[in-house]
Amino acid sequence: MLLPKFDFHAPETVNEACQMLSEYGLKAKLIAGGTDLMVNMKKKILAPEQIISISQIRELDHLDVSGDRILIGAGVTVADLCESKTIAGYLPALGQGANNLGTPLIRNLATIGGNIGSARPAADLPPGLMAYGAEVVLQSKAGIRTLPLDNFFLGPGFTALQPDEILTEIRILVPPAGSGAAYVNIGIRKAQDCNLVNVASYFALDSNGIIQNARVVMGCVGPKPFRAVSAEKILIGQKPDIQLFEKAGEAASADSQPIDDFRSCATYKRSMVGVLTQRTLQQAWTRIKNQE
Amino acid sequence: MSEYNVINSRATRLDAPAKATGKAVYIDDMTLPGMLYGALLQSPLAHARILRIDTSKACKLPGVKSVVTAKDAGLIKYGVSPARYDETLFCHDKVRYVGDEIAAVAAVDLATALEAVSLIQVDCEELPAVLDIDAAMADGAPVLHNDYPGNVCAEVHAEFGDVEAALKTCDLVRTTTFKNKRQDAAFIEPQGCLANYDLSGNLTLYSSTQVPHYVQRTLSMVLQLPIGRVRVVKPYVGGGFGIKAAANHMELAACLLSMKTGKPVKMNFTREQVFTYGRARHQFIHTMTTGVKKDGTIVALKHQCHLDGGAYSSFGIATVYYSGSLLGGPYKLPNMKYDGYRIYTNKPACGAQRGHGGVAARACWEQQLDMIAEELKMDPAEFRLKNIMVAGDVTCNDLNMSSLGMKECIEAIRDGSDWKSKKGKLPKGKGIGMACGFFVSGAGYPIYRSDTYHGTVMVKLTEDGGKALVYTASAEIGQGSDTTFAMIVAEAMGIRLEDVRLESGDTDFGVDLGAYSSRQTLMTGHAAKEAAEDVKKQVLDVLSKELNVPVSDMDIRNSFVVFKKDNVDFSGLRTRYIKEHRGWTDNPQSGPLTFTEAARIAYLAKGSIVGTGKYKPPQLGGKYKGAAVGTSPAYGCSAQVAEVTVDMETGQITVDNITDAHDCGRAINVTSVEAQMVGSVSMGLGEALFEEVKFDNKGHVINADLSEYKIPTMLDMPSVKPIIVESDEPNGPFGAKEVGEGAIMPTIPAILNAVYDAIGVRIHELPLTPERVWQAICDCQKEK
Repeated sequence: MLLPKFDFHAPETVNEACQMLSEYGLKAKLIAGGTDLMVNMKKKILAPEQIISISQIRELDHLDVSGDRILIGAGVTVADLCESKTIAGYLPALGQGANNLGTPLIRNLATIGGNIGSARPAADLPPGLMAYGAEVVLQSKAGIRTLPLDNFFLGPGFTALQPDEILTEIRILVPPAGSGAAYVNIGIRKAQDCNLVNVASYFALDSNGIIQNARVVMGCVGPKPFRAVSAEKILIGQKPDIQLFEKAGEAASADSQPIDDFRSCATYKRSMVGVLTQRTLQQAWTRIKNQE
Repeated sequence: MSEYNVINSRATRLDAPAKATGKAVYIDDMTLPGMLYGALLQSPLAHARILRIDTSKACKLPGVKSVVTAKDAGLIKYGVSPARYDETLFCHDKVRYVGDEIAAVAAVDLATALEAVSLIQVDCEELPAVLDIDAAMADGAPVLHNDYPGNVCAEVHAEFGDVEAALKTCDLVRTTTFKNKRQDAAFIEPQGCLANYDLSGNLTLYSSTQVPHYVQRTLSMVLQLPIGRVRVVKPYVGGGFGIKAAANHMELAACLLSMKTGKPVKMNFTREQVFTYGRARHQFIHTMTTGVKKDGTIVALKHQCHLDGGAYSSFGIATVYYSGSLLGGPYKLPNMKYDGYRIYTNKPACGAQRGHGGVAARACWEQQLDMIAEELKMDPAEFRLKNIMVAGDVTCNDLNMSSLGMKECIEAIRDGSDWKSKKGKLPKGKGIGMACGFFVSGAGYPIYRSDTYHGTVMVKLTEDGGKALVYTASAEIGQGSDTTFAMIVAEAMGIRLEDVRLESGDTDFGVDLGAYSSRQTLMTGHAAKEAAEDVKKQVLDVLSKELNVPVSDMDIRNSFVVFKKDNVDFSGLRTRYIKEHRGWTDNPQSGPLTFTEAARIAYLAKGSIVGTGKYKPPQLGGKYKGAAVGTSPAYGCSAQVAEVTVDMETGQITVDNITDAHDCGRAINVTSVEAQMVGSVSMGLGEALFEEVKFDNKGHVINADLSEYKIPTMLDMPSVKPIIVESDEPNGPFGAKEVGEGAIMPTIPAILNAVYDAIGVRIHELPLTPERVWQAICDCQKEK
């Protein structure tokens, strides 16, 4: 399969890249790992005239804890996330997403920024990130703005990102003591699969062991990953136990909006939202208990 | 310790260094000076009448060297079986599936060729399409081929014994219906070819094929080239599994374009084109009624099958026969009735794929046998053993089990999996299941009616005496056949494997029907052994005269001449040899007479030493219509135990272990036998759990890539315990027979039986996706 013709740029700073984007506008596409873009270009779904690689921009490669926040550069690869002790220690639900994404070859190339920016409803990283309440940093020639990841996705392939903006960083508050999160996905086979359903759940307990904050995020069952609001309402103010998780699962099922497609029918996906919600909550709780 | 010096061991494959370092040359690596690139125009419609084809714009595009359609190609019909030649190189009156070939272009580069294809204008009248068996068989359904009303491509009706009468004598009669899904073999290397028509009028086609011989014949016939002008060469091939076992349109188009332009033309399928070309496993819908006695004796099988064939016949005539005949064994079955129908639909043609015709039938029956065993309260292993055939048995449809380690296979997997402590004792969600199967070691007859040898092999000694060169037209497609034949030659000549060099896959080397029907080890192996024995005899004859020792008192072992009786003075020969090789580094100074010395002396006496071998099966099988399909000089057989874990909430299946026994007669290269066994498990597991080629309502394949057509990943593969059973096949070279296809037979039903054991509900449709399993569990709970 042949690629369409394009000009290739490899700026070394975010400012340079922003300058190029402002110049080329909609004629340009950013490329990092290319695991999504290259496929779409070969299928002739996309044919950008200008391709701007951000792989040479070192300021996008960081993964640090800074004060009460974890900062992840958009160019960090999924393989880096898998190996990071910071991720394993603070953000295990994100680590589960990373470890279940694609194959080792894909993980070596794919970046966290790309997995968010391509806005696939079945993507592995957004549910975990949203469960942790992540924000994204968007930079253009005009300046920098931040946005909760909840508000970033607009639909399949569509985001709040303006044509002249680059997603540069993901920011996550260090989860408080007494909180836990988990991510579970299912597909037809065990790897290299488009998810049928994926769910990430997070909750934090107060000093009395009452759930004071909860986020349940569902993928594949709507035009974008989104929160199961009624499930969260059921959880907040209660003590965690299996019956509660079961109720939350039923509520999440009701919140989901799956459609029939060639991979699976809506009924199955809706039912699996319930199962995965329960399982992620259970895992999150186990993680909290293991902290004690 | 093995009684053999070379075979029956674990040999490093001859192609290992080239493949491990990326130096092995495949079609995509090849270029020739002045080479053009070709591209195909394929139908975007599933069924349409062609009104007009206008190539003028394409022809005018700079860089385009030739545009060809049916006007240039002619309308010579071809296909696989001469009984059903129903394809032409390009469509002329109608297109019959999305992907049907209309025209081809050769240009200076691929981008230009593809652009030219887009400039060809085709005016069509779209016709209603039939996309499944029911639609194709409905009253008044649109007809694909006028010669085949009702869209019935082929039907088979056969009865052995008296099934209706026999069923009346049974204590238990059960009927089940089962369906699999259309498959893609998902070989690593998409089809590709490079055609070179030279100035003397000779055509050479390099192609990623399993069957250089059949491709050569099809090219000669369709392109009307004189005898002796066509040569087909197969470089390294990245798998075939049956799909590459016939000439394809692209090969013919590349040759035609090369003939038109006088330049080499290269063409490749994209992965999407691999799917739209099809020719892989059919969808089968089986209905089987089996009758047994109280004591578990199998009495009769009544079997009806419909195959969704796609738009053309391809291998389908053989397929519809095989899906009936391959149930004749391995159980004693005195009465069998089969009614098979292959139906044309407006989809890519289906053909032969590993386990040709028998895989879905085997899955259906082995699951049904387990259901019957359960009703009889018999252990599935004991039930099978009670009915098992043994060597020397002949099936009701005249298949002769000249060797059969089926009983040994069942015992091996039963004991190897600790069956007795697990069956019926596992917790909910865990299951264990078994199944058996058998397959031909090569089709008893060629695809076209002929008295041809099925394989010829030539062994020539280098004139310096150092090496034996083996020339065979057989097809190494990744399965390891080159190494197998080198081992057979080395064993038969008494020399070391490293003293053999082998060239294969070229029609100039002889006749070999190729890599299909699991035929090469037995058939090419026979020819290789005969050629090697011929050479050995010639060398020993010369030595006998030179040394005045009877041939019967000499042998060759490990590349040395062995004298069985008194010490023989061969110093004269050694002196002559050394004189001829003054200054060479490896002249023998002491020790026994080497094969190299003997080979050189033989050359000095007789000129080049060349041995030839050939193989053709004896007259096989019964006299009834269709008796030829399923006959073979030998049958391999397998049994497997699958152990699974099913997630009762999500329906996800994990296959934890497969214990796998296969009777391959005698293992030539033990590692390659095991590799075929494990590879078969992988392919069977994919069909059981994941794989299905899906279409939209316009006949387009909607998952024509390897991200949405889901073959197993390494993480899906269970731990496989291969157990080789050796039965010493009397019709096989050194007792060897097949492993490549028989080994897939038990995988699907073993998994089906294990899943039932885990969840308590039978599923009669593949693949066992999480959704299908979950649905079955839900339905079962509702019933309760």
